[in-house]
Amino acid sequence: MIATIAAHQVLSLRRQRIFMALLGTLLVMTALAGLLGWSSHRTIVRVYDEAVKILAADGKPAPPNPFELKPALSLLSNMAIYIPLIGALLALVLGHLSMADDQTDGVGRLIFTRQVSRRSYALGKILGAAGVLAVILAACLVVSAVSLLVVNRAVPSVGELGRLSLFYGLSWLYLMLFALIGMATVLMARRRTLALLSALGVWMVLTFAVPQFTSGLRPTSSLNPVSEPVSTSQAFFDVTAQARPFSVSEQYKEASARILDTAIPEPTSKTIRRVLPIAVLLSGVGALTAGLVSRHDYSRSSSGE
Amino acid sequence: MNSSTTRIITLARHEYRAAVRSRVLIALIGILVAVTVASVYIAAAEYRSQLADYEAYRSAAVAGGIKRIAPSPLVLLSLLRGAMEYIEIIGAIIAIALGYLSVSRERANRTLPLLRSRPVTSGELTGGSILGALAVMGTLIAVTAVVAVVCLGLIGKDWVNGSQAFRLLVAYLASIVYMGVFYCLGAMVTARSRIASNGLMVALGIWLVVVLILPQFGDTLDADNQVPGGLFKTLTIDRPQSLQILSHFGTYEFIRTGLEELSFAKHYERFVFAMTDVKANYRGFTLSQLFHEKRNDVAWMIFYAVALGAGIRRSFHRQPTIPIGGSS
Repeated sequence: MIATIAAHQVLSLRRQRIFMALLGTLLVMTALAGLLGWSSHRTIVRVYDEAVKILAADGKPAPPNPFELKPALSLLSNMAIYIPLIGALLALVLGHLSMADDQTDGVGRLIFTRQVSRRSYALGKILGAAGVLAVILAACLVVSAVSLLVVNRAVPSVGELGRLSLFYGLSWLYLMLFALIGMATVLMARRRTLALLSALGVWMVLTFAVPQFTSGLRPTSSLNPVSEPVSTSQAFFDVTAQARPFSVSEQYKEASARILDTAIPEPTSKTIRRVLPIAVLLSGVGALTAGLVSRHDYSRSSSGE
Repeated sequence: MNSSTTRIITLARHEYRAAVRSRVLIALIGILVAVTVASVYIAAAEYRSQLADYEAYRSAAVAGGIKRIAPSPLVLLSLLRGAMEYIEIIGAIIAIALGYLSVSRERANRTLPLLRSRPVTSGELTGGSILGALAVMGTLIAVTAVVAVVCLGLIGKDWVNGSQAFRLLVAYLASIVYMGVFYCLGAMVTARSRIASNGLMVALGIWLVVVLILPQFGDTLDADNQVPGGLFKTLTIDRPQSLQILSHFGTYEFIRTGLEELSFAKHYERFVFAMTDVKANYRGFTLSQLFHEKRNDVAWMIFYAVALGAGIRRSFHRQPTIPIGGSS
């Protein structure tokens, strides 16, 4: 039964063209991440060459090229920005539609007249969203690998492909968190659009507000793969930094940078400790969603607005 | 006061009252105020410690008989950078939500066709809605501004002077216009959608592109932005030399700046950053010099405000005077 509900969910998303819209948007962003990475890197190397000429003409020594040791996967570092910004918003919409459509179409009222348990229904819905996100991210992985092949003019090594797979695995975990938030808010709010706005509020808090509280990161720091170091020596951060492990967008970016090898390396155990809070939150929101499904009064949820 | 003005003010009051009754909107506004306070608190606390260090240096220099004392490198208004960025990101979402709720509420209550059946022109309806929304956003901006200035004074131990207050006022007025444009966007696309929630999703998609994606492209492609502290600074290249180097990348820079020019949010950001001394190269400019330097951004902001204002009027004009279809 769980598989049937999940299959119905996927079919419904395909018929609404939501699946294609999500797939198309993320694939375009993945391709753009590669293109932007390649274009900026190529230009910056040329800027460095020009700078060396000017410094030589002034009789000054040239500092070492800051990009010489950039790893092969660094051209995809923008993906670690696009996933929490664009991917998470799309995942919210995916989760929202997975639950909201059943309420407005009346399927929610009908389905529980059959031999379907609330648990199977919840698991089927979650499995459907998980499957859709897995397929989309697998396609993104292929596009990323092709981008590397084109830009670096060499087939990505097994190690690089392994790192890419790990990165997209982590991204799946992160996006599932937001898909579940999208589902849970539908079950908590009386009106469909209020649910969407509430989910958006949660996304804003996790993406912009929490990193500001725990690490002093300004909101636009979320837009740039290269962040200015921030002073966190104040007493304020002695308290708030305790919550830093649960600043999931920050932990996602830090873990992604280590997986893609674009930041200063750290012990694997530390990277795992960054991922754990995301998994813990995911489990918590998953349990909350299942609990809300089991208690939800589907007889009243017939109006979309 | 003529009857048209009375109708506009009545509609504006209705818009204001309805908006402040929305719990989701209040929650979003609460998030904006909380993050503004946090951002200003963090910046002001750091500023206080730097100011104390500077005062200690100054006292020691005076006591030591040093005549030429370095001026303070601290810039008070630049501490509001985070607060301005939150208006740019979260303020825009609040404005879209306000625009969406404005139309969807009237549709769900079936009062929009009723309003259109009365002797209220689409211009009056648009004017009333925008005026009410501007009043809501003005209240919100005033609250964040007062909180920010008080935080600077109490925590940073430095109060804004008259000239700074005036520039801050201009920056916050620009913030109200900025949010007004997103309000028009939210209301316009919702009014044009048969299903209101689809309109909200379209507006959020446009917000994503304008506020996050286009500026992100610009930042990523900016050569100087690729190394913490700045590439040219790392390479010990001064500004004239950096301009000389970038002149070799005309097409690249044209595309990069063109992408940024497309973003309304970037124009707002450039303008308010200049007004609040965030960008070092505009510090010390008079207000008229700042307006002259930022005339391009001001022109783009006026263009978007007029275009979206006309768009919402057109959308309201097309609203049927009898209810059609199901719920919103």
